[in-house]
Amino acid sequence: MSECIVITSGKGGVGKTTTTANLGVALALMGNRVAVVDADIGLRNLDVVLGLENRIVYDLVHVIEGECRLKQALIKDKRVEGLDLLPAAQTRDKTAVSPDSMRRLIAQLKETHDYVLVDCPAGIEQGFRNSIAGADRALIVTTPEVSAIRDADRIIGLVEAAEMPEPELIINRYRRNMVRAGDMMDKDDILEILAIPLIGLIPESEEVIISTNRGQPAVMEPDSRVGEALRRIARRVHGEKGVPYAALEQDEGFWLSFRRWMGLAPAREVAG
Amino acid sequence: MKDLIARFFGGRGHSKDDAKQRLKFLLIHDQVDMTPAQLEAMKAEIMEVICRYMDVDKQDTVFRLERLQDKVALVSSVPVRRVTSRAPAHGAA
Repeated sequence: MSECIVITSGKGGVGKTTTTANLGVALALMGNRVAVVDADIGLRNLDVVLGLENRIVYDLVHVIEGECRLKQALIKDKRVEGLDLLPAAQTRDKTAVSPDSMRRLIAQLKETHDYVLVDCPAGIEQGFRNSIAGADRALIVTTPEVSAIRDADRIIGLVEAAEMPEPELIINRYRRNMVRAGDMMDKDDILEILAIPLIGLIPESEEVIISTNRGQPAVMEPDSRVGEALRRIARRVHGEKGVPYAALEQDEGFWLSFRRWMGLAPAREVAG
Repeated sequence: MKDLIARFFGGRGHSKDDAKQRLKFLLIHDQVDMTPAQLEAMKAEIMEVICRYMDVDKQDTVFRLERLQDKVALVSSVPVRRVTSRAPAHGAA
């Protein structure tokens, strides 16, 4: 059965687009047919993060207005079997799309794909309403900061008001060193406040900047920590239970590494 | 212990505790749509009524909004020293 998942946050700049791109690639690498939809009309970016910006001919608004067929607008990612991108229009605004037209579009995509991931624009206006219209499930992305968590709380309320199932939380840019020093809210602090289940914990990393520069999502790199965290989110999204959190196993600091090296602390679990 | 060390080195405690405290406060006020000033005004009015009947310790009185799942609760603790003899009789204005 196909599922449409919206990736949303309220606040901008917390990593919705990067998360959508990576989850799309990861789910496709697991053998699913995946469509990623950029719902940020007027400010498209998902194409760039995926490195597919040069291949756009038609976009979401063309499809909705009947100027082309859905299949013509979908861009097949040649690196990843089973991944299609439906780009947003860059020169139109969000009023070109309505929740009803979005619902129809998603229904059509679900006929040919196992997962439809919608990259929601920031804010709680029409772009947000369009994005959640056809969604069966919502993933909320936040960072461990007061402003992002406040906005996430607002979005959780709106998702629940739309009678969708309880959303799940992805905490992005998690810094274990700062958490350990008491200078960043830890995952339990955030979960206590937002009171929704956790589905992902992504460490802060410069790798993301490099992979965005190259248009090559981190999940394509086998050794990337961020990629590993996102691959695990994809497994949880797909229904696998008990997947451990990579971000809690990594960057353990000098002294613990030293003690492990000396045999004074148990060897580190292999990420798995 | 960690707190002590942090204080020894001139830290002001853990900044994440500030973040959490501010956030809890923000979310409650976002939810009830009540400004801290309005809450203070309400508290003053409620205290005025309580003081008509009881001698209370205003210093240790607590009024705060707390989140309980999807609801907000007004939690208050008002230490009573004694019931005042000035209490108006039942039915009196």
